Amino acid sequence: MASAEVKLKDILAKVLLIDKVSDDMSRKSVKEWDSMAHLMLVSEIESAFEVAMSDDDIMEIQTVGDIKNILKKLGITI
Amino acid sequence: MDSDETSQKKTSEPVSRTLEKLLNQVREAANHLNYWNAYKRIKKLDLESLNIPDEKRIKVALLSSFTIDPLGIYLDIKSRLAQLYPEIYIAPFNQYQQEILDENSGLYAFKPDVIILAVQADVLLNENFISDFVKLSDVEKHQTEISNRLQAILSMLTSRTDAIVLINNFIVPSFTPFGILDNKAKSGLRSFFQGLNQRLAELYRKSNQVYVVDLEGAASKHGKSRCLDQMLYYRGSFLFSESFLPVIADEYMGYIKALKNLTRKCIVLDLDNVLWGGIIGEDGIEGIKLGVDSPGNAYKDFQRVLLSYYNRGILLAINSKNNPDDAMKAIKEHPHMLLREKHFAAIRINWQNKVQNMIELAKEINIGFDSMVFIDDNPHEREQIKQALPQVLVVDMPSSPFLYRQTMENMNDFNILALTEEDKMRGEMYHARKKREELRESISTLEDFLKSLEMKIVIKYADEMGMPRIVRMVNKTNQFNATTRRYTDVEIGKMKEATDQFDIYSLQVSDRLGDEGIVGVAIVRKEPKTWTLDSFLLSCRVIGRKVETAFLAKIVEDAKEQGVSTLVGEYIPTQKNVPVKSFYSDHGFEEFSREGNLYRWRLDLTKSTLEMPEWLDVKNG
Repeated sequence: MASAEVKLKDILAKVLLIDKVSDDMSRKSVKEWDSMAHLMLVSEIESAFEVAMSDDDIMEIQTVGDIKNILKKLGITI
Repeated sequence: MDSDETSQKKTSEPVSRTLEKLLNQVREAANHLNYWNAYKRIKKLDLESLNIPDEKRIKVALLSSFTIDPLGIYLDIKSRLAQLYPEIYIAPFNQYQQEILDENSGLYAFKPDVIILAVQADVLLNENFISDFVKLSDVEKHQTEISNRLQAILSMLTSRTDAIVLINNFIVPSFTPFGILDNKAKSGLRSFFQGLNQRLAELYRKSNQVYVVDLEGAASKHGKSRCLDQMLYYRGSFLFSESFLPVIADEYMGYIKALKNLTRKCIVLDLDNVLWGGIIGEDGIEGIKLGVDSPGNAYKDFQRVLLSYYNRGILLAINSKNNPDDAMKAIKEHPHMLLREKHFAAIRINWQNKVQNMIELAKEINIGFDSMVFIDDNPHEREQIKQALPQVLVVDMPSSPFLYRQTMENMNDFNILALTEEDKMRGEMYHARKKREELRESISTLEDFLKSLEMKIVIKYADEMGMPRIVRMVNKTNQFNATTRRYTDVEIGKMKEATDQFDIYSLQVSDRLGDEGIVGVAIVRKEPKTWTLDSFLLSCRVIGRKVETAFLAKIVEDAKEQGVSTLVGEYIPTQKNVPVKSFYSDHGFEEFSREGNLYRWRLDLTKSTLEMPEWLDVKNG
């Protein structure tokens, strides 16, 4: 079973077409992170971690760090 | 930030290899994430540097009332997995009407080959339609309204483009306010949608441009409760869930493959543990498993689906390592065999390498490897064929025979855009051909052989009945084809109407061993004094019987009657059309011009004439 960190990185890398993932990457700095990709990210993360994010959380996500914080809030150790 | 672009600059890996790597990622794990990733990365590649032939390109436009981008991703990647080079156009969200109405829209500028119009019923109806349904007095009026509205949009669309148009039917809802009484009610909600679907099918039954895709059927197959992902639907107007996307994409791919002539014509079968359970050489005819009990019933069912394909025109052949006597005894005598000797267009039962057998089968049946499907329970044999003959479609058969039938039923590689009479007869035709070859071996001269066949040919202008077959021949014939010009059925239909500019001839052949149906097509471009053979082609089934001479002689005769003085034959050489190379010179034409690879030959009709071969009984239709 892959660690939560690895699982998240794999999703981010494949959805956003990036090789290295860091917490400060944001919707502004990553070109591929458009609204369609955002929804794709959320959907993949929700099913991979078996959680449901609130619409408010989804709106507020700006960076990779934000995603981690929401996952922590939902009880995932990451 | 975008490391993808930088890494591409660094490595000078050939584009084709990068493409293959990305597709392999999908082949290995066909999940949504990999489809997305491959699609996005391939989009960044410079594929134009690859010199892609036109017949491998396909432009697909998607118009819809919901977010259809994910379907575009699947169609893109699935087309590439089928060796095509797709371009996908996705119309702006929910602007399908504007795109169709505006002559200057992105849709028309894109010049698509295929247009997918995906519209939900909810959008065509009042949005509270289902809430109010119980109270509606005249539901038929609403059916008429929807079908009229769709029809209006579609006739606008088809008047402006020659593309194939795929519209979906409607998913019959699982929920109905009537509950258990839905089919007791005068007009239930489900029967409303079923009736609507029937109307839609009826409306386009005869169309050769508009096809109604069975979304309802695909959704039922997948399970309607799994077709929609509520989260993605409410948040992003996605109509198809991740699990349903590959299923519905395959449905559409059936049409795309048929349009691009990726249709498979022949299923090559192993015997042991494929057509029956066990090994005939060891278990004997009494010991093999085939019949009414498990697992013999699964093998019998597998034969049933193969037989249904055979009856529709798919050829069957055998490639098996066995003692031929043992195996043929089972095929001829086993009481539960459904497939008998007469069902197989060619048979190779021996101990030689299966690759060699495959090559011989292709030659005997006279089809390309790209028309063949290989079915074998042994993964090593499959791997060998995959390696040696990559164009052959090798089916990854499940290890349990219980899943054989389903695997076969799920294939979307046998589709054609119109079914012809010739298709239904094809199996018998090949059987007749085998007999013909036996006869040929017993008669010493070619002329005696041809006379003994008692051939009859009918040459006539293309008619409605023959059109599907003519279109298919124009798009499929490679060998005896003077110009290999491909035309869609819409284009050919237009030529057929323009009788002052074009004549389209068809040639039918039959002999005492069987009817071959339409085996030749000629398209003549007419000017007052000159007729030009824009296309002249013949099925390889009848090459070598001089029917081409009769066909040409008839056109010469017609031209003379109309006072034409010159008949021009155009010839564009390809790698495959060697049989037609000397066709015009053999018939007295002389070459007079060449532009690029277009050669033009002419026959002076004021001086020359063409003799009908005497053993042919020619009728004009």
